[in-house]
Amino acid sequence: MKVLELQNVHKIYNSSEVKVHAVNDISLNFEKGEFAAIVGPSGSGKTTLLNMIGGLDTPTEGVILVDQTNLASLKSSALIDFRMRNIGFVFQSYNLIPVLTAKENVEFIMSLQKWNKKDRDERTYELLKAVGLEDRVDSRPSKLSGGQQQRVAVARALASKPKFVLADEPTANLDSKSTETLLDIMEQLNNEEGITFIFSTHDARVVKKARRVITVEDGKIISDEHKH
Amino acid sequence: MIWKTAWKNVWRNKVRSLVVIISITIGIFGGVFAVAVMNGAIEQKVDAALNEEISHIHVNDPAFRDNYAIQLTIPKADQVLSTIKGTPGVAAVCSRTVITGMANTATKSAGVQILGIEPEAEKEVLKLHETCIPGTGDFFATESRSMLAYIGESLAKELNIIRYRIDESVLDSLAVREVPAEILEKLAVFSGKRFKSEKSFKKELKGVLTMKEQHEYGASIKEEAWSFRARSKMTLTFMDKDQMQTGAVFRIAGIYNISNGMYEMGQVLVKNEDLMQLTGLDSNEYHQLIIRLNDLESTEEISESLKAKLSGLEVMNWKEIQPQLAMMTDMITKFYTIFMVIILAALAFGIVNTMLMVVLERTKELGMLTAIGMNKKRVFNMIMLESVFLSMVGGVTGIIISETLISATARKGINFASYAEGFEAMGYPSHIYPVISTSFFISVTILIIITGILSSIYPALKALKLDPAEALRTE
Repeated sequence: MKVLELQNVHKIYNSSEVKVHAVNDISLNFEKGEFAAIVGPSGSGKTTLLNMIGGLDTPTEGVILVDQTNLASLKSSALIDFRMRNIGFVFQSYNLIPVLTAKENVEFIMSLQKWNKKDRDERTYELLKAVGLEDRVDSRPSKLSGGQQQRVAVARALASKPKFVLADEPTANLDSKSTETLLDIMEQLNNEEGITFIFSTHDARVVKKARRVITVEDGKIISDEHKH
Repeated sequence: MIWKTAWKNVWRNKVRSLVVIISITIGIFGGVFAVAVMNGAIEQKVDAALNEEISHIHVNDPAFRDNYAIQLTIPKADQVLSTIKGTPGVAAVCSRTVITGMANTATKSAGVQILGIEPEAEKEVLKLHETCIPGTGDFFATESRSMLAYIGESLAKELNIIRYRIDESVLDSLAVREVPAEILEKLAVFSGKRFKSEKSFKKELKGVLTMKEQHEYGASIKEEAWSFRARSKMTLTFMDKDQMQTGAVFRIAGIYNISNGMYEMGQVLVKNEDLMQLTGLDSNEYHQLIIRLNDLESTEEISESLKAKLSGLEVMNWKEIQPQLAMMTDMITKFYTIFMVIILAALAFGIVNTMLMVVLERTKELGMLTAIGMNKKRVFNMIMLESVFLSMVGGVTGIIISETLISATARKGINFASYAEGFEAMGYPSHIYPVISTSFFISVTILIIITGILSSIYPALKALKLDPAEALRTE
């Protein structure tokens, strides 16, 4: 079952002096339950691609369909709402809300969606347990290690039961042990609950775990490898 | 959750938030307390004017106020009195004879309005009798073969009826009032000396006391050195019914002290029987009837009713007699609101500046919130709530401090004795009891919320313009 489809997507940045073709005619499909990594050197266009998939940026040309919905057809407010319900985000520098506890960070999106308190509490506990932080529910981000913060970010990304999770360099700021733990958790969520993960990374450990590796260079796909 | 997050965000940078909160607290406290003092002074002025000077409604001949001619008495005054007394809502009524004349002592003279009154009836309508300075006599209770007068303190000073002296008893009294020994030593040079006027006494004091000492102890010294010889004499001269000059010597049987120096200076009360004897007016000829009502709120209704009943006479309520008082009571709330709006407008710039810094500092976080699904309306609401919380914490603290200080000073009042002459010249009391209504606190609270909302608009619009992808790249 296709959750994401990119058809001839281009992204061109026009500055006054130069024209940069950041993404050049990329077409891709992602099925439900994929554990995929988009890899490539810095400036290859992988973050731009991820931003367009997440609806944070718009393609200059081409179509992006999320669960058969063309992102370009959505108005600004509808797109934000669509993102909230369908796409989970994990960022390189965690980006948790520093004044809220781990529990409050995770339930933030659920409260925006007006879940009732009982369902919210159950889902939050379930997610924090899944990422191994059920004993740190009341800790603020400043009291958590980098790895723990990123695990809270993963739990937050999954809160609204999205179609897929986009993780932009999720392990870039983590040590080996934290990276290993985080990847194991995400792999387990992928295997057991069928959650689709799409990473942008140049971390070899992520690439090793991924079952599909898409290599991008100068805005173009140079390989799309499915492992078995 | 947005409310909770906004509240927690306020305390993210405690020092910065506290600086803003303290500035709002000081601004609101200053504004509210100043309004309470102004309001207290105005309420006291209005109360004093109604209770001591004019009461609620006056009835007189339509031409009487133009020239105060002695012939313009109220026709069939007894019938008019009965009509007024029978009007529902009227608490009391008294009659007055009003004559313009001169008050003279051996050294000074002054133009005055001589009010012939019936003491017992007058006491039912006005409380001027309660303002008599102790030890100066009891005009309202004294029966005498001499003609008696009740005059204001300002007139008594002007006519040199009040004098000043320094002696051992005055120095002892000042010591009891904790005037320092070095001041008493300076004053001791005047021991046994009498001063004919306040002006000459002040001049001598200036020679021995510094400005600071005069400012701090001048009022106490004047109060203790004040001297009045009971039954001092004063001559009142005026025209009688036949336009012939007449007059008589009156003995002063009381000096009243109210907050209106102008009234004190110009109004001399004498007994109606004495004035009638001197002017040749009959015992039922009056110039004015003064009415006190049970309820101030019914003034306009009853004055309209009396206007209908008493055709051919002029019926004026207190708002018509002293329109400046009416304007004060009607306009003052608007003035206070404008005053608070100006203070809050100044504070709003500080809040805008803080909220702009908040948006700038949290660019990445705001980008993240938009990315994960917080729409523009919610981002706007969160920034607005932070601004409102910031304003409310400062505002409510300011209101609480103001209310505490107003309650503390409302009982004993604030004494501006050093500026008493200035206050009294404008008709205001120098001892002010701050007072403010609950509705004013509600208005201020609403204004604070509005300030918080308005201050958040520009920073929130800045936040809405952020591009999430770009904001997420911010370091």
